[in-house]
Amino acid sequence: MGEASQYVIEMLHITKEFPGIKANDDITLQLKKGEIHALLGENGAGKSTLMSVLFGLYQPEQGEIRKDGVKVEISNPNDATALHIGMVHQHFKLVDVFTVLDNIILGAEDTRLGFLQKKSARQKVQELSDRYGLKVDLDAKIENITVGMQQRVEILKMLYRDNEILIFDEPTAVLTPQEIEELMHIMKGLAQEGKSILFISHKLNEIMEVSDRVTVLRKGKFIGTVNTSETSKAELSRMMVGRPVQLEVQKAPAKPGAVVLNVENLCVPSHLHKRNAVNNVSFSVREGEIVCIAGIDGNGQSEFVYGLTGLDKCSGGSITLCGKEISKATIRQRGENMSHIPEDRHKHGLVLDFSLEQNMVLQRFKEKQFQRAGFIKNDAVRQYAEMLIEQYDVRSGQGPITITRAMSGGNQQKAIIAREVDRNKPLIVAVQPTRGLDVGAIEYIHGQLVAERDKGKAVLLVSLELDEVMNLSDRILVMYEGEIVGEFDPKKVTVEELGMYMAGAKRQEKGGESA
Amino acid sequence: MKNWFQSKSFRALLSSLLSILIGLLIGALLILLIGLTDQEIGLKGAWDGIRLVFLGVFSNGRNEAGLLTFGFNPVSMGNMFFRAMPLILTGLSVALAFKTGLFNIGAPGQYLAGTCATLFIALSIPTETVAPWLVWILAFLGGLLAGALWGSIPGLLKALLNINEVIACIMTNWIAANVVTWLFDISNLKNIAEGTKSGYIYKTTYNNVATPKLGLDKLFAGSQINGGILIAILLAIGAYIIINKTTFGYELKACGANRHAARYAGIQDRRNIVLSMTIAGAMAGAAGSLYYLSGNTEFFWSTYQSLPAVGFNGIAVALLAMNNPIGVIFSGCFMSLLNISGQQLTYLTAFNEYITDVIIAVIVYLSAFSLIIQLWLGNRGKKSVPRTEKAKAADADASTPVVPGKEE
Repeated sequence: MGEASQYVIEMLHITKEFPGIKANDDITLQLKKGEIHALLGENGAGKSTLMSVLFGLYQPEQGEIRKDGVKVEISNPNDATALHIGMVHQHFKLVDVFTVLDNIILGAEDTRLGFLQKKSARQKVQELSDRYGLKVDLDAKIENITVGMQQRVEILKMLYRDNEILIFDEPTAVLTPQEIEELMHIMKGLAQEGKSILFISHKLNEIMEVSDRVTVLRKGKFIGTVNTSETSKAELSRMMVGRPVQLEVQKAPAKPGAVVLNVENLCVPSHLHKRNAVNNVSFSVREGEIVCIAGIDGNGQSEFVYGLTGLDKCSGGSITLCGKEISKATIRQRGENMSHIPEDRHKHGLVLDFSLEQNMVLQRFKEKQFQRAGFIKNDAVRQYAEMLIEQYDVRSGQGPITITRAMSGGNQQKAIIAREVDRNKPLIVAVQPTRGLDVGAIEYIHGQLVAERDKGKAVLLVSLELDEVMNLSDRILVMYEGEIVGEFDPKKVTVEELGMYMAGAKRQEKGGESA
Repeated sequence: MKNWFQSKSFRALLSSLLSILIGLLIGALLILLIGLTDQEIGLKGAWDGIRLVFLGVFSNGRNEAGLLTFGFNPVSMGNMFFRAMPLILTGLSVALAFKTGLFNIGAPGQYLAGTCATLFIALSIPTETVAPWLVWILAFLGGLLAGALWGSIPGLLKALLNINEVIACIMTNWIAANVVTWLFDISNLKNIAEGTKSGYIYKTTYNNVATPKLGLDKLFAGSQINGGILIAILLAIGAYIIINKTTFGYELKACGANRHAARYAGIQDRRNIVLSMTIAGAMAGAAGSLYYLSGNTEFFWSTYQSLPAVGFNGIAVALLAMNNPIGVIFSGCFMSLLNISGQQLTYLTAFNEYITDVIIAVIVYLSAFSLIIQLWLGNRGKKSVPRTEKAKAADADASTPVVPGKEE
């Protein structure tokens, strides 16, 4: 046995084909007991497919899976569960109106004569919670707890089922910096207790911090497995993308010009409570600068953008765009001087069941260029879409006629960026433009925003990622509970300092001086 | 070839045809079972019934030897088109609303509104002073407008107050049924000249108003067909062009597919919801209008206890056509073809038209599953992909195509 038992799970030479493509091509992944093993790759590199194979959702054409050195057949998720493999999905699988405890035991309930035995379950969950430092309120309803706590519930679900192999699918995408910190701590604790962790991510910082080894995939191929201590971020990103990647944004100092956008005392009502979600926000954005609104999710950034772009009504204040007061204008009128890269690309950014070319003219189909007497000029639309696809390197299965639902997240976002940038408006509002994207796509999108700035556009960036905020912006505004609590020069402020303002521990008085 | 098979519209067509085939086969099976269990009908009677299910519209009755004969039957064929006309229009009504993401279950009410306005106009304007063709046009437009108005009510409620259109439609249906009954009750249009019947309104021919036959009666001698079917087909083609070729259709579809994204793009989603329901109402109104303008049909005015089935059948027609306006022409004809088959069954065999009701029910049932059938068709040739993982598979599918020279 000796050598075989070094690995708790081995996936050897896995090949999985879909019509036309090899999603996994001869991939080998070996997970040691008690290690945190990161699986790194761009969107569409085959990470999800590989995990689906491990979970029994797909059957590979070639290759085998071994547990503790013994070959196993995993033909459905129940087999995976029986082998003590558990997964925290990117989008949690929780019942909102159930309590934490109910969610944890759901599907693995202990019953006697048909009656739930909650008492023993509670005891077991409490023990697990104490042992691994997973603080949760067992009687709170899921809908009332934070995303970070919901994730801890998911982890407890795995532990409750005595899972030994824990898979985390992009676990940090939804968390605040503090919560990420905490999760890293929890993961290390789990590994020390002998659990083996597979950590799927494309965030290099986190991988460097938490993992022991990294396996890199690219376009369905196995690129290599390296020890984290012997590699670097630059090396990993080169392996992932296939070329050296600029991790830092290269940009010249900003040359701000005339004011493009001026917001005065803007208020936007909340849909959740009676108070304003955005309260008396005032600032301006000038030509040739990137102004970033930083803050923890849910502090009024989304509502502010809705109020600015016209998706929601403002309840007070004024917005002046290119010298025109627009706080009562329609979305289309505002769009004459404003591009908007929306926060939620599936809800607002794209009509997913439309083709790529139809999405490319979502705002512009009424322009002379694309219609005559109410009839859409299909040739002109096709030509324009092809031009954008070529120029912005948007990749898809069938080009302009691809249904956007079938495109990868990165390319969907690229399509939106292409459309919005090409509309060529004085103000670009970009809300979390790189959310959920991989290093290559992020580099590209950051480059585009800087290029637009250098062309004299005013860019208003709303971001939750502090790295992005520090890297990209020329000025930082911190939003806390619907108000701007500070304005900073990214060169003169530290991440820690920003964090204090984001958490509401400090605020500048109006006028600019630190309190 | 492969691409052609994978294309969405082809798969949609195939799945509809499959639904029809299965429906007919189940009808045939039912007849066979009845034949086997009933001594008097027997296998021979069942065989007659089965042939009529598939070929009813070509039936020429029984010859002297008592055997079924088949061939071109102008009466059946013409009547098929005549009855298809309102079905095409109510089907169009449902399909158009559906393109904007709205379920127009209010077609029966809109149909009644159209019928009511048309009959009032066609019977009230004296043709001694106004030319009959002008009265016809006024009556048709009146029916169109009344239907549009009736359809716009649920549209407005949805757009302004976010009231579910299904509930509003059901209520407007019954309001229409009662209002129409009441209006005719106090009118002087009740047919009292022909004393043998009661409860009917005069035919429009009473006032010399009727849809022109346009020579179709020569083609299908002895049938009820008139130019209305051509108007229905033209409207369907027009709807197809509007939906697929114009900026207006683009807006409607965008609102239907993703209301949020449409709003984001500056499209006025509320306006489009109202317009979509208004147009849908106009189509259903036109159905009632043209049906009674044919001049050979009487309207039973005391309708407050029931809603016209043709309105609800529009849902089946639209479903079977996958909401494609051109497809609606064919599915409308098919539904009325089954109707004719049912009649032939009743006339010529021991079976009756309820067999075709079963067939229609099965087809509608299967049409509702059409998406699943389409998926099944789409997955043939592919390896079976579990449904929950479809999205991920698509993700991997689309992003991996390698651009030559880009990789390294």
